[in-house]
Amino acid sequence: MIHGFRDAIPIVVAYVPIAMTFGVLAASSGIPWPLCILISACIYAGASQFMLISLVSTGASPLSMAITLLLVNLRHFLYGTTLGPVFSSWPERLKWLAAFGLTDEVFAVSCRALDRRPNPSYQFALILSCYIAWISGTTVGCLTGRAIPNSVSGILQFSLPALFIALLFLNYRKWTSLLAAACGAGLAILFQYLELKSLGIIVGAMVGSAIGTLCSKWRTSPSE
Amino acid sequence: MLGVLGVTVIVGVGTYLIRAGSLSLGGRMTWPAWLREWFVFVTPAVLGALLGPEIFLPNQHGIFLWNNKTFLASIPTGIVAWCSRNLLLTVMVGVLCFAALSYLLS
Repeated sequence: MIHGFRDAIPIVVAYVPIAMTFGVLAASSGIPWPLCILISACIYAGASQFMLISLVSTGASPLSMAITLLLVNLRHFLYGTTLGPVFSSWPERLKWLAAFGLTDEVFAVSCRALDRRPNPSYQFALILSCYIAWISGTTVGCLTGRAIPNSVSGILQFSLPALFIALLFLNYRKWTSLLAAACGAGLAILFQYLELKSLGIIVGAMVGSAIGTLCSKWRTSPSE
Repeated sequence: MLGVLGVTVIVGVGTYLIRAGSLSLGGRMTWPAWLREWFVFVTPAVLGALLGPEIFLPNQHGIFLWNNKTFLASIPTGIVAWCSRNLLLTVMVGVLCFAALSYLLS
């Protein structure tokens, strides 16, 4: 259990400011502070939470918001292929309990501990530490965000597109990924012109990712 | 806000089921390579779909770039992001540029 708390420290240090940023942006976007905390408590996934704020700001329909965010979180299905064999000895109910706290960062730390075959007490110490950090940061952020004047919150709203640009250029630097992003952008812009904004985000996501996948396969297929 | 509450619950439950299903099925599932690749490209495609209208159509209609402070601020933001690979620096530079442009273009 002690190792779990120890290994959680780097994640906790990263989570607190990010969660506070989410809280500030969500509150200054007009989301009530209890709902801000509920978002962090229920969804518990950084990128999709920030995307939720952006979708709320653009007035997307609830259905397109839900579909888009679930599409983004579908990648979590891949965790099982790496961690599944390690957790195979666990009772089923403990697996389902541990799954709630399986964020990208917790997954990465759990992978580093694979050779030690993490036991439930280690995993739950890791998960609980990170979850408390996330909720605490959100709480502080959204209570602070309510006090920010409108003139400042208008400027702060640009931190969302700045964050998305940063995420794109830090993590997706291959031309196939940038092409997927460009296709997503082009289609979303086109659909907004057609007054079909909500549909545009989903179409942009689906078609953009398909084009990225096809180009990646074309690039790696053996030449004749 | 009722819609946001509904989305929160649906996405929260859905994300949990994705994570729980993945651990429960574990290594028993073998995903085809094309599907694993597709998962990887969904996030950049969604980021693009969110950024496109935000940067080029901030007023929901018409592309006017010369007095579009979101577009203009995105240029140094993108350059800093690509060159520095530093998330915090990128966001700080972006917000500062946006603030400066808001003052200059007001």
